[in-house]
Amino acid sequence: MVDDIRRWSDELAHDPSSLVFLQLGEALRRQGQLDVALKIALRGLERHSHDVAAHDLVARIAVDRRDFMRAVEEWEIVLRLQPEHLGAMKGLGYISFRQGRLDDAERFLARAADGGAGTAVTNALETVRRSSGGAAESWLASDEIQPNDLNDSNVSNDPNESTDASDPSHSDDPNDPQRLFADLLVDDGQTALLLDANGFVLGGIYMDGDGMDVSQEIGAQLCGISEEVVRAMRHLDIGDWGSITFETHAAVIAMAPQTDGALVVVAASRATPLGLLRRLLDRCGERAASWIGAGGRES
Amino acid sequence: MSVFTSTLEALTRQRGVRASLIVSESDGLIIDARLRYGQDGERVAALAASLYRKARLSASAARLGSVAFLQLDAERGRICAAGRPLHWTPDGAIGSDLVIVVVADPAANVGLIRMELLKAVETLA
Amino acid sequence: MKVATVEPWVEAPLTRYVDDARARLALLLHPSGQVVAQAGFTRAIDVMTACALAAAAHATAGELGRRLDGRAFRGLHYSGPAKQLYMAPVDTARGAYICLTVFDQASSLGLVRMYFDELSRELAAAAPPLTSMREPALALDFERELNANLSALFGRS
Repeated sequence: MVDDIRRWSDELAHDPSSLVFLQLGEALRRQGQLDVALKIALRGLERHSHDVAAHDLVARIAVDRRDFMRAVEEWEIVLRLQPEHLGAMKGLGYISFRQGRLDDAERFLARAADGGAGTAVTNALETVRRSSGGAAESWLASDEIQPNDLNDSNVSNDPNESTDASDPSHSDDPNDPQRLFADLLVDDGQTALLLDANGFVLGGIYMDGDGMDVSQEIGAQLCGISEEVVRAMRHLDIGDWGSITFETHAAVIAMAPQTDGALVVVAASRATPLGLLRRLLDRCGERAASWIGAGGRES
Repeated sequence: MSVFTSTLEALTRQRGVRASLIVSESDGLIIDARLRYGQDGERVAALAASLYRKARLSASAARLGSVAFLQLDAERGRICAAGRPLHWTPDGAIGSDLVIVVVADPAANVGLIRMELLKAVETLA
Repeated sequence: MKVATVEPWVEAPLTRYVDDARARLALLLHPSGQVVAQAGFTRAIDVMTACALAAAAHATAGELGRRLDGRAFRGLHYSGPAKQLYMAPVDTARGAYICLTVFDQASSLGLVRMYFDELSRELAAAAPPLTSMREPALALDFERELNANLSALFGRS
């Protein structure tokens, strides 16, 4: 990837009208270099103002930068130029859902589903139609849209894909430990987990952008941070730790210790104010404490 | 005086800041520091660098991307850290092993400290 | 990681040090090269070799320091592609020891040095006083003691 970026950069420097700006912009976007990616995409767009892929690239970069208004403008241009562009339909469906415009979300997702966008879109469409906001996070939970979700050329038409009826995000059982924090998570993209001292999941759920339950993987990785914190606290002379918060490219994460080495982990989109994240962490911590106290671990 | 003097002084000027350090993430050693009396800079540097690196590696393994800012809150103080991950520009790769660390009182305004930290990170080569 | 030692008072401090510093290998030895405790080694020959080399490196660094700075250098750090080494003396009432630590990316020089300072304090506090002066080691005694120590460390006594 490093060599590719260098090669594309050289080519673009040599020939500013080259379409290689599309590959370069996408690679930089995936690397998280959004400002540079946008600069390159916009320069390319100046020379190729009717290029569908260029407008699509700018839209995806705009989503990553949380500039949803720009993303909508670009995808609307894409649809004017290419009415059957599935990536634009999915992107507009996603943004409409985020903004609570369920009718628009349904319209865009229905067009995408009719165009053969795959089971993830079909599932999300069913969910929007059921007007169950929480369960729709099975497709839209992570605020980080995966590039493959919106890339027209990567639409899956695998007939072997099936709807997973046991998808935990569709669980309606109030006693299901996965729903431990469900009523506290009021914004899309928010998620919370309760981990035991070994990093195993006790409650809550963490879904990725593809609708996959990655709770165990995320829990195992993030639990290691709390171990490091505990080690550091022994030698820093600032007392017991209360919480740790960190901002990543994809999300903001906050963690707080519970009794018996348990850990509450809360994640939200990058756009979430840190103060709000901390309040959410406090509420989830209270919920976890009362759940543990009521013997929730034994269920 | 070092190239980091103005950066560290801007951070240390924030109310409630007990120490500000530039540390090497891989070694846990101090590059430069401004410490109030009684602060064990070497200890803070080693532990904060280790914590930041652990957060960075764990976040990367969890596919959450790079860590821009980290804040640890404890009973008698808080630690904030920010680093500049390896990233690409059309001219090539820019990276930094350096992490800026601030130790502050529990009541310090973390919002201001965070802003200053993120501004300071941009100056790291 | 389990610590094997011929002197019981070393075990607890060294075990804590190895765990805190996340050392891959650790050796505590007399400046003469006799092993006192080890962690992470699986073969006696490796311990013998490491002790001999560590004692020589420590002696060389000490002499170099005396010539350059008027006093022996205290800590030695080598950095390799995957692993690093830190070696420094520990002073106790029972005499001086050398601690050699090998670590990788799971730790850092700053952490190892920080925990080493704690180890030094704990060993100095835990070391029982010498009841008699140690005789200068004769070659035959040295060999016998070395073999006895190695047997004790690797469970063959």
